[in-house]
Amino acid sequence: MKRAPWYLAVGAIAGFAGVLGLTGRTAAPAASASKGQGSGTQGGQQGTGSGGAAPASTGQPAQATAPGGVHTASGALEQYGYGELSVKVTANGNKITNVTVPTLRTAEQYSQQLASQVIPMLKSQVLAADSARINGVSGATYTSQAYAMSLQAALDKLHIR
Amino acid sequence: MSAPTVSFESTRPADRRGKRRLVPARQPAPQPRPVLAKAALVLAGAGLGAVTAVTITTETASQLHAAGGLATFVGSLTGMVGTYLALLMVLLVSRIPAIERVLGQDGLLRWHRWLAPWPISLLTAHAVFITVGYAQAARAGLWHQAGVLLGSYPDVLIATIGLAIMCLIGVISIRAIRSRLRREAWWLVHLYMYLALALAFAHVIVLGPAFVGHPLTRLVWSVAWAGTAGLVICYRFGLPVVRSLRHRLVVAEVRPEGPGVVSVICSGRNLDKLAVAGGQFLSWRFLTRGSWWQAHPYSLSALPQPPYLRLTVKAVGDHSASLAHLRPGTKVMVEGPYGAFTRHAQVRPKALLVAAGIGVTALRSLLEDLPRNSAPVVLLRASRPEDLVLGKEVTELVRHRRGQLHELVGSREQAAVDEWSLPRLVPDLHRRDVFVCGPEGFVASIVDVARNLGVPDEAIHHEAFAL
Repeated sequence: MKRAPWYLAVGAIAGFAGVLGLTGRTAAPAASASKGQGSGTQGGQQGTGSGGAAPASTGQPAQATAPGGVHTASGALEQYGYGELSVKVTANGNKITNVTVPTLRTAEQYSQQLASQVIPMLKSQVLAADSARINGVSGATYTSQAYAMSLQAALDKLHIR
Repeated sequence: MSAPTVSFESTRPADRRGKRRLVPARQPAPQPRPVLAKAALVLAGAGLGAVTAVTITTETASQLHAAGGLATFVGSLTGMVGTYLALLMVLLVSRIPAIERVLGQDGLLRWHRWLAPWPISLLTAHAVFITVGYAQAARAGLWHQAGVLLGSYPDVLIATIGLAIMCLIGVISIRAIRSRLRREAWWLVHLYMYLALALAFAHVIVLGPAFVGHPLTRLVWSVAWAGTAGLVICYRFGLPVVRSLRHRLVVAEVRPEGPGVVSVICSGRNLDKLAVAGGQFLSWRFLTRGSWWQAHPYSLSALPQPPYLRLTVKAVGDHSASLAHLRPGTKVMVEGPYGAFTRHAQVRPKALLVAAGIGVTALRSLLEDLPRNSAPVVLLRASRPEDLVLGKEVTELVRHRRGQLHELVGSREQAAVDEWSLPRLVPDLHRRDVFVCGPEGFVASIVDVARNLGVPDEAIHHEAFAL
């Protein structure tokens, strides 16, 4: 057929622009929704550090030394097999009250998905054990190790154990 | 069994006496609607644009900058575009009637063949780039990473098997290798492509960056593939079965027409409802013990004369040669009619029909479909006089339409159709569409001659018989 490439090209541009338009419109609500969930695991991709951590902890200097009171510290950025992450910990005295992952970068979506499934489990392990000595999640060994390492670094900054 | 002697004479006695024909009106073939083919093209392009955009927008800057991010991104882009092109290839051979009528089956197959290397190479690149990207991210060796991907990622193993099947089919479809295979064997192996695509489907949905966490994209993608599968099932399997059951064709007579050429006359029911245009062909499946599993395309050599249908075939391969031994009563299944080589394609007031050898079959039925007083010019080429099969019928049809017939018999040099001879045979070529039918080489040469004489592409129509 004559001019077939033109019809294809017109369609391609329309399709491309159409999807861009659609995602552009839905991107903003999606971003705010993930922030609102507040567990600190999803919104952390950009490494903003706020992540939805407990409101009480924000604005505190990272290296508080005195025992007692609410303190927050971030662990080192740990490289692991499929990406990198850092852990931010909030403690009240010697008690760990919250753990978030402000930074999570993975090269591909599958690891991202896996990490976001695993991180809540790791968090509950930490809160239960009240330390970085956790069993980790099987099937996500690298992620668990990186998480524990970064968490330990953060706890060291707070001089907890 | 005594077969009825069927007359496919071009002019029946009733016609000669100038009376109205008593034959019931046949169902006319539906008019091709070029706008539908154009709309399909725009839609295909839109899909390509959308697939690219979806892949790009799900990529975040931080993923791209992470180790292996770039390779992974290239991997997902090639995967998405490659898979989409594979979808288009399936659609190109799904025999959607509205599209087929405009572009013709050989046109669609040409696009299918032209497109074929792209999905295969893009999907191979996808596998390589993803492995490289993940290996970089995991700081692992390439082979180790390939093992991890195959072993622990969901559905990747079966998708890899699918890719291997696809590559194998790609290799045997390379012209040099394909020409050494029997057509039927190649075709059967080729059908495994459907399996390959089905195997690859799951990993796309489960792991594809554009799909993970995007239920809407997932839904649209699944609907597109399910819809394509539905079209294939409907038009490649369902419709032919329904048509075959409706017409219940059986071989009525096999009649020799010339050296190595036979006409097979089939009888059937409701043939007045078979909407076929002159010049079209059907895919025929003769239900004999040896060849029920193969379907071969042969042109109708006359418009249906209910309750009869006729095809004329020259013995050039095993299958066409075996037709001479068909027994009356053999059941026949058909797919089609297919082809855009019909009078509907005509854009100028008159027509020039050119055929070489057995190409006369499609020309004969096309000629029959042209109105009275349409003054067609018909060129028949053959190496030997006895190869001019159906000559009497063509002569009669041309006379009836007040046209002119030129029979060019002799070697290619003696009876050449070229830039010099064609304008002398057809002085008013500029007012005529050119319809060419015959072996590939002949068709290509006539198309060239017509182009060189200034006939625009839209007025040149051809149907090549690939052996």
